[in-house]
Amino acid sequence: MNAYLPLQGIRVCDFACVWAGQTATMYLADLGADCIKVENPYVWNPATRAAAPVLPAPVAQMLPAWMAGHPDNDPGPRPWNNSPAFIHVIRNKRSFTVDSRRPEGLAIVKSLIAISDVLAENLARGTLEKLGLDDDAIRAARPDIVILHLPAYGRTGDYVEGRGYGAHIDGVAGSTILRGYRDSAPETNVQTFAGDFFVGMHGGLAMLAALRHRRRTGQGQTIELAQAECSASMFPQAALDAAWNGRATGSIGNRSTEGFVPNGVFAARGEEQWLALSCRSDAEWAALVDYLGSPAWATAPEFATAGGRRASEDAIESELAAWIAARDREELFRDLQEVGVTAGPVLSAKDVTEDPHANQSPAYHRLEATEDYPTTDFPAPSFTFSRSDVTLRTPPALLGEHNHYVYRELLGVSDEEYAKLEAGGHITTTYADEIMGR
Amino acid sequence: MTTDAAAPAALDGITVLDLTAHIAGPYSTKLLADLGARVIKVERPGGDPIRAFGPWLNDEPGPERSGAYQFLNTNKESIVLDLKSDGGREALERLLPLADVAVTSYPPAVAERLGLTPDALRGVADVNVLSLTNFGWDGPYRDYSLSETVLYAMGGEMYSHGSVGREPLKMGGTASLTQCGAMAAIGALGAVYATEVHGITQRVDVSLFDVQLNSVDRRSSAIMAYRFSGRINDRPEVAGPSTGAGVVGVFPCADGYVEMTASAGPYWHRFAEMIDRPDFKDPKWNDREWMNSPQAREEVDVALYPWLAERTRAEIWEAARNAHAILAPLFTAADLYEDPVFRERGLWTEVEHDTLGRFPMLGRPYMLSETPWAIRRAAPTLGQDTDALLEEAGYDAAAVTELRRSGAVA
Repeated sequence: MNAYLPLQGIRVCDFACVWAGQTATMYLADLGADCIKVENPYVWNPATRAAAPVLPAPVAQMLPAWMAGHPDNDPGPRPWNNSPAFIHVIRNKRSFTVDSRRPEGLAIVKSLIAISDVLAENLARGTLEKLGLDDDAIRAARPDIVILHLPAYGRTGDYVEGRGYGAHIDGVAGSTILRGYRDSAPETNVQTFAGDFFVGMHGGLAMLAALRHRRRTGQGQTIELAQAECSASMFPQAALDAAWNGRATGSIGNRSTEGFVPNGVFAARGEEQWLALSCRSDAEWAALVDYLGSPAWATAPEFATAGGRRASEDAIESELAAWIAARDREELFRDLQEVGVTAGPVLSAKDVTEDPHANQSPAYHRLEATEDYPTTDFPAPSFTFSRSDVTLRTPPALLGEHNHYVYRELLGVSDEEYAKLEAGGHITTTYADEIMGR
Repeated sequence: MTTDAAAPAALDGITVLDLTAHIAGPYSTKLLADLGARVIKVERPGGDPIRAFGPWLNDEPGPERSGAYQFLNTNKESIVLDLKSDGGREALERLLPLADVAVTSYPPAVAERLGLTPDALRGVADVNVLSLTNFGWDGPYRDYSLSETVLYAMGGEMYSHGSVGREPLKMGGTASLTQCGAMAAIGALGAVYATEVHGITQRVDVSLFDVQLNSVDRRSSAIMAYRFSGRINDRPEVAGPSTGAGVVGVFPCADGYVEMTASAGPYWHRFAEMIDRPDFKDPKWNDREWMNSPQAREEVDVALYPWLAERTRAEIWEAARNAHAILAPLFTAADLYEDPVFRERGLWTEVEHDTLGRFPMLGRPYMLSETPWAIRRAAPTLGQDTDALLEEAGYDAAAVTELRRSGAVA
């Protein structure tokens, strides 16, 4: 075990929250870093371990499934240890608790920083500074540390005080305006968090690059990743069309940014059976026409090129929609792929769990039942290394699960001091009474 | 360029042989190139197919004028090799030992036919190979193709994106592909890191489908939730923002839209401050029953909609920042390009191109204080570095001429 892990011996002092931050450090943990989540039992970080610290089953039922579909629809007494939204991004990490607002807690945090190689945070602006942990203080504890900040809109400029979650940051990055129906205003958009995913990966990559530089030169550094700026790189075509041609691109629905015609999502036979289809080339279109049985509407000579098809995109879409509506999604998917047309089902979460390809993919790793959740396939790292043991090595860290490891093994706190910190409420596996509403 | 060329780069000394094309693969190697890795882009005769996709510089099409190509290939070198020819194949084998990692995006069947599988490449030279495939190297969908839309449909959480009764929606642009590129970059750099620490090389496999299945954009959570609870995410019944029990969603204003979240508690108080309605801080607004009542909704609507309608996004965002309310404007890419604050921060840069001159480019995704992200060179013209790279690989001038004559290189 632990063979050839790239980041073996690297320690991360992890103040990250929500998805963007927690996934950034997760990628380092996946690659072998000892990633230690610093958790304050007197502070509830929104959208970090669960929707809420106290989550009665009926309330969970009213929240979206992805946010609050806990085991058996009952979050139980410790929602923070079994949230479907968050615990899987705490894989391969460790967790310890400390109230860093009190002097003895701050001293513990500083002693952890002193033996860490990375500090990552995306807390609300000013939180670390208020604790007395600005960059200078962090560097005083560990001069060659790599620091990652993930502000929403930057640490300088007029937008520093802008507050938001992924959905709001996606708005500024230009994601939201690009993803509605062509015939509806953006009011009908549902919230998505494309930027959280993108930012998390970029945060992980930037820290990895900075660690590589540090390994060669001994020099640490500070990384500032403004989430809205980073997320803009998801949409280079829109960005450069604006910069080069002064064009403000709006939503094109399910049509293709790359000019593929047809490109869309169509209802197949049955309820909620959707098929996505793209003709990425004229050859794919020809294969589709052949599969359709070369009906008259499809064999017009001008349809042989994407440009020609674009002029009749509405008509092509409505003919296809009528044809697909009468057919079985799975059969179309397999048949079209076999003849060389890019098509695939819109897989719901349920469909994924029954999908023969997903079920044999390395994307999942089964974890045995614990007190907090049943035996379940959890997401595993999305890259497989042939020699380094990059996998789901340890299950999601429960709140305070590694208190003993951090306080005793890493920091060498004495029995007596440990007992004192425990009595003082620093060392715990639950949240403080005021958080729990007790 | 606009950045300090003398500063060290984080990935100095790393060489990447980039055998990828289109979007996901080139984005992964662009990320490494912009952090200082040397990236040798091997293009097929005629070039990376992405060169045929717009937008175009000044709306004028051309293989060097593609915005997608220019963005995805900054800081790279280009050599054109026909890998189906013996000469092209040999040139590849002589370039491979220069690399710390080779990155490929060949479909498995193509890689097998051309002898370009990760194992075949690793048989030629002791290098890391990262393969980016649609569905991995095994399983029933192994040889299936993907577009950005089909990838998001199958891998991503398209199912719950959109309105009930209508078709599910994709993301904007080609976002699902750039996302997968970012994951591949972590894998590639992870492998190089393992080489530097442990002295080993290996293959790393990344599948687009798997990356999207584990996307934290509601996807990994939705799948976990189904496994845990049997609940699935549906597209919402009611399209549109909600007021009353919580002001959540996208709202129109004088010059566009803003998105806000003002649920009960501190966010509600900040919202009340933002719209300058201290009476909304009355304790009754903490009462769930009141918040859900039609009267509450009407009171909010009467206060909020006119307030928004009289103000621009800039004015509203400023009021939100002052009150720390959770709100942001919806920007188009043009808004982002023209925004003075992001401009001053340096989100945009310019590149100097040998034949096209200077043009604007979307800049850094992050700022590294000691090893700055930098564009040192615009995306290469097709085969711009063919001669220099062949010379580096040990070919003399006569051999290069012969390779060119045979069509193996260009």
